[in-house]
Amino acid sequence: MSELAANTQSAVPRSATTGEPVTTTARRNRLGIWMCIVSDATGTVALLVAYVYLWSLNVNNAWAPPKDTWADPIPFWLITAGVIVATLAMWWAVSGIRAGRTGQFVAGSVIASLVTLVTLIGQIVQLSTFPFDITDGAYASATFWLCIATALHLSVVGFLTSAMIGRLRAGRITREDHSHARLVAMWMTWVCVAVFAGAFFATTLNASPNSNSPTFGTFQE
Amino acid sequence: MTAVIHEQQAVPQPKQHGKPGGFLRHTNIVTGVLLGVILAVATYVIGGLLVPWGTEDSNFAQVGQEALIAATYAAWVIGFMIGIGAFAGPIRWWLGHDLTHADAEYMAGKDQGKWKYWKYTTDHKVVGIQYLVMAMALLGFGGLLAMLIRTELGVTWAEVFDPNFYNSIIGTHGIVMVIAMIIVVAGPLGNFIMPLMIGARDMAFPRLNALSFWLLFAAVPPLASNLLLGGIRDGWTVYQPLGTQAPVGMIGYQICIITFAFSTGIAGVNLITTIVTMRARGMTWNRVPIFVIGILAAAIMGLVWFPMYQYSQVLALSDFAFQSSFFIPQNGGSVWLYENLFWLLGHPEVYVIVIPATAALLELMVVFLRKPLFSYKIAVAGFAGVVGISSLVWVHHMYMTGWSPAAGYPFMLSTELISIPFGFLVLVMLGTIWRGKVWTRLPMMCVYAMIWNKIIGGITGVYLSDVPVDQYMHGSMFVVAHFHFMLMGAGLFGAMGAIAYWFPKMTGRMLNERIGSIGFWLSFFAFQLTFGSMFVAGLQGQPRRVLQFDNAFNVSNWLSTIGAYLIGVGMLIFLYAIITSWRSGQVAPSNPWGAKTLEWQTATPVPLENFPVLPVVTSDPYDYGVPDPYLAIEKKLSDENQDVTAGAR
Repeated sequence: MSELAANTQSAVPRSATTGEPVTTTARRNRLGIWMCIVSDATGTVALLVAYVYLWSLNVNNAWAPPKDTWADPIPFWLITAGVIVATLAMWWAVSGIRAGRTGQFVAGSVIASLVTLVTLIGQIVQLSTFPFDITDGAYASATFWLCIATALHLSVVGFLTSAMIGRLRAGRITREDHSHARLVAMWMTWVCVAVFAGAFFATTLNASPNSNSPTFGTFQE
Repeated sequence: MTAVIHEQQAVPQPKQHGKPGGFLRHTNIVTGVLLGVILAVATYVIGGLLVPWGTEDSNFAQVGQEALIAATYAAWVIGFMIGIGAFAGPIRWWLGHDLTHADAEYMAGKDQGKWKYWKYTTDHKVVGIQYLVMAMALLGFGGLLAMLIRTELGVTWAEVFDPNFYNSIIGTHGIVMVIAMIIVVAGPLGNFIMPLMIGARDMAFPRLNALSFWLLFAAVPPLASNLLLGGIRDGWTVYQPLGTQAPVGMIGYQICIITFAFSTGIAGVNLITTIVTMRARGMTWNRVPIFVIGILAAAIMGLVWFPMYQYSQVLALSDFAFQSSFFIPQNGGSVWLYENLFWLLGHPEVYVIVIPATAALLELMVVFLRKPLFSYKIAVAGFAGVVGISSLVWVHHMYMTGWSPAAGYPFMLSTELISIPFGFLVLVMLGTIWRGKVWTRLPMMCVYAMIWNKIIGGITGVYLSDVPVDQYMHGSMFVVAHFHFMLMGAGLFGAMGAIAYWFPKMTGRMLNERIGSIGFWLSFFAFQLTFGSMFVAGLQGQPRRVLQFDNAFNVSNWLSTIGAYLIGVGMLIFLYAIITSWRSGQVAPSNPWGAKTLEWQTATPVPLENFPVLPVVTSDPYDYGVPDPYLAIEKKLSDENQDVTAGAR
């Protein structure tokens, strides 16, 4: 048997573009996703640092929003719960396709997509109904940006999860090669961590511990 | 349907949708620029109709004008990326229309001639050349601004520019040069040479490779246009709250950095994944060429720390355009928050610039000395040490800001500590040169230049890391001279050596070393004049970023200006050597230096898939003078065969 024919009949699926076994490209993609997570995590840390830094300093006594109208904590935790449910559904879908249960994959992906969509709408509603504006002091600004980051994360997750059904129908996700579904689930797991951290900071660190805040010259007239 | 890939494997193919390349057959730089401009203009016009004009805010700007200009710049970036074809890949992925082998070959630029350099081409060699040209263009623009700065400072009897415009030139020169120096080695050589060096067919994620370059391309016009919109008047660091009080040109800077950070992050993901997962069989970690280790170190630092800089600009743009309160003290913001976020990348960025250039010279010097690298492991330890400690030194830029004076001393210690792993690298260079028989070619001259400049830049850096000395020197021309010795003296002269060394592989032509050497040596000596004089002016007390100064500094400034013009002439001569050699230089053989690393073992020009058969590594990359064990086995077998033949006779 020629080498060409032998490769054609090989049991291990191969990448259509490079000819490598899909296990090789999957390993490479996994490292790539980890690197993306590291980079995104640094950005998320920058936002969290900004929140905690301004909360701890309470510069010019201007951390708190007008009349101490803090954001309602419940929407933060509802959104976090939504992201976690979507992620669990995606992992359930991955376990289904790994076992060859296509129906479970479809169900999991659809649940993940729908829950992500509802959560994203919830995030937009929360952003538009805060009892303060982005200009109302440092807490308002930091909280707005934590929520904007969550909305951006959810948009990416929505794009990724909604692609799963189409890719399954196109034969791009199979029992032998489901690495992309797994990558999506990995990314969603990180998004859970990021959203949880944002919700934790925004709901537990409200009133600044620094009641004797520094003031700067004539800034506050 | 199947495709035969690399003449070995018949691989089942997904359905081919239309002609290979699909939507990307119709996109190129022209469609990108057109769509970018159209979307930007449409955003500005429609936004102008929606925004209430007529009232002014505290910055004497039209209310909503900042947000509108930010949206316009963002529309340019998004429009350009759509027009160049960057969104075709994600949409195809979403639809499940994955690339076929024919698609991938089309996207890699197969049979497209020189037009492939103007398209969303994924081949790492094309991206490397694109980065090279972009880096040279940015260096030219930044260099031109440097000439204007030196003209203002050299003409001590008159004021050449409006002070605000002068400040804008300073800020724009700074950030343009920082971007250019970040990409000048890691961009062209990290993309073109590194995959060849590790025996790979391409980068791990070819489409992300094209994306990283075109994002960089899209980031440049907003930055350049700042000069038309009031400019960046507070230096490349754009400290707050000056940044929020600036003209709207500041938005160009912020959009540029946010976009460039995406580009750098994507490039970092690609470089790291390629190096970790795509090395040739047999290339264990202790056989990886030192240049690849340097690229890995720079990519790690960029990947981890660039988002800090990016978010500092996201939040600054939010303050500027939407009146949020991150850095505005009267509303609860803190300028120190900005400075911390900025310098968390701002200092590692120095190493992101210098480490690839250093690694490139370590790589090439063994070739021109024909001896192994002196203590490869110490060099690797040096890179690892720099990566580790670089994240613990940022506060030395903030000694004089008033932020946590007590933190100055531990950061003084950490800054001095980083000179130890950095010193390792200089010692490895010196140890490799020691008792070597030097083949004196242009790349080797750059090694000497870098050692000289790096020692001066490094030692003056140790002075500045000391809190008491910095209290005197901070904000003076001494600091300017110091960082130019590091970034230009070590970084740019190192890059010149690296480009001269790999020029034959990248272009298929030999660099005209006679003309190149004239340009190089003229630049080198002019550089010493320019920044040596600047050290003197700084020690005498001349502040930086100030265009009017005491007559006591005149002589130093005249000398610096003469030196700067001569650097410009030297660089033009070097550029002339590059352009003429590229167009009509002597055709290069595949391995003109007789080097042992893999990039020189394949043909020149490099074929689309780099190697006909993927190489297997059997020895260290620097075993000059060490007999190849496989050659010994072949010789032994040959001898035995001759004995058998003789016996039979």
